[in-house]
Amino acid sequence: MSLPKSRGPSPQPSPRGRGGQSAPNPYCLLAELTYRCPLQCPYCSNPLELNRFRNELGTAVWQRVLGEAARLGVVQVHFTGGEPLVRHDLTDLVRTARQLDLYSHLSTSAIGADHTKLSSLRDVGLDALQIGLQDSRPHENDWLAGAPAFEKKRQAVESAKRLEFPVTLNVVLHRHNLDHVDEVVDLACRWNVDKLELAHVQYGGWAFRNRAALLPTENQVERATEVVADARDRVSDKLEIIHVLPDYFQQFPKACLHGWGRVFLTVAPDGAVLPCQTAREIPGLVFPNVKETSLEEIWFRAPVFQRFRGTNWMPEPCRSCDRREIDFGGCRCQAFLLTGDVAATDPVCHLAPQHGVVEEALKEAANRSTDLQFRVFAS
Amino acid sequence: MKPTHSINRPRLAPGARYHWDEVRQQHQIVFPEGVLILNESAAAIVRLCDGRSTEDVISVLQAQTGEADLSGDVHELLDRLAQKGLLRDSQSPPPPGEG
Ligand code: SF4
Ligand code: SF4
Repeated sequence: MSLPKSRGPSPQPSPRGRGGQSAPNPYCLLAELTYRCPLQCPYCSNPLELNRFRNELGTAVWQRVLGEAARLGVVQVHFTGGEPLVRHDLTDLVRTARQLDLYSHLSTSAIGADHTKLSSLRDVGLDALQIGLQDSRPHENDWLAGAPAFEKKRQAVESAKRLEFPVTLNVVLHRHNLDHVDEVVDLACRWNVDKLELAHVQYGGWAFRNRAALLPTENQVERATEVVADARDRVSDKLEIIHVLPDYFQQFPKACLHGWGRVFLTVAPDGAVLPCQTAREIPGLVFPNVKETSLEEIWFRAPVFQRFRGTNWMPEPCRSCDRREIDFGGCRCQAFLLTGDVAATDPVCHLAPQHGVVEEALKEAANRSTDLQFRVFAS
Repeated sequence: MKPTHSINRPRLAPGARYHWDEVRQQHQIVFPEGVLILNESAAAIVRLCDGRSTEDVISVLQAQTGEADLSGDVHELLDRLAQKGLLRDSQSPPPPGEG
């Protein structure tokens, strides 16, 4: 799944770790069960070298990890991927989460989410569903997804609502669907979902490779922002709309995951524990594995979690900036991708010394159209 | 927004759950977007929202605490939770044996 980086509960004011550690306890576990996925979205946030990660954790290890997460203070778990429904033990894992009183979400492409499956997940205690949609138009949706998926999504939403799940429809926005955003809102109303999350592509992973073909124009962004603001007023009684603006067009970066090692932790399909889903793009970081080390040990003591926690690591202008506890200097993966320096100010920030690279990318995208490359999981 | 007294049988909305957070020593309502932290008295009310009538919630609380009139507090909290979409009216009373 392509998970918008700003999602999630807001952290509470400086909760203290057990045993007096100064780091806050995490709230949210992203359990990436697999990178396998029947779809091929060209903006997928999964790693480029998918085949390196075939070695998926087994059921018992995941169950232990869920227990460790609950004891560490995790309240919500997002079962995500790839497509979590390709795992045959998903029902067992959701059941375990419920037994631990964890609040569980499933992020799905809807492939495999038929009524029987959703109903069995409901029975074992799944709490909420997020269904990804590529476009409001069936044909375009299926082109972007690389598979006939639209109708399955419609049916999955219908089943989910019948089962009384809270349903969020996630639409990742980019040049090819941004002009349909009004249709997306209408469709979300028709499908009777509770929430529509419109998040622009985050340019890491496949999306970075496809950046020139995905970046919208400034006009498109302006128009879409107006359309969404109008729609929000119009439908406020039946649909909540979250619009995560594209950071390339903003003055300031996003508070990536509410700060490094602060609220979220990700366990990847092979058991690596990451501060952020895309942190593997940063060379030189060493990620501990749940097969060898407990989550608690990793969260509080692994160097990779300490590395960008708090504000001590920051360069200028962040170090003396008023916003350093608001956006935490932006996204580390983006800083690395765009500047080669993982500890640089996120160049999306207009105060960043290297902001020029973002302006150039926008110019380049405005001037040429490039073909999309689709994610393929060779099997 | 619903006026307070439209809630006759308060029950947490689908997707919202009461949770005792052992690590942070907090009462919470957990819902898809995050958590709402409850104080002791709010938690006592929320735990009674199982589909029984609002009057029952009030009288049980009054009996538990020995306070004379809690109806204002209860209505205010139910109203706030309903506005946040965390509470709704249940069609039927709780199944026997629950609560
Ligand atoms: S290919 Fe698409 S549906 Fe599959 S994991 Fe990536 S973004 Fe999600
Ligand atoms: S200078 Fe750093 S802390 Fe200040 S707004 Fe920019 S990224 Fe955020």
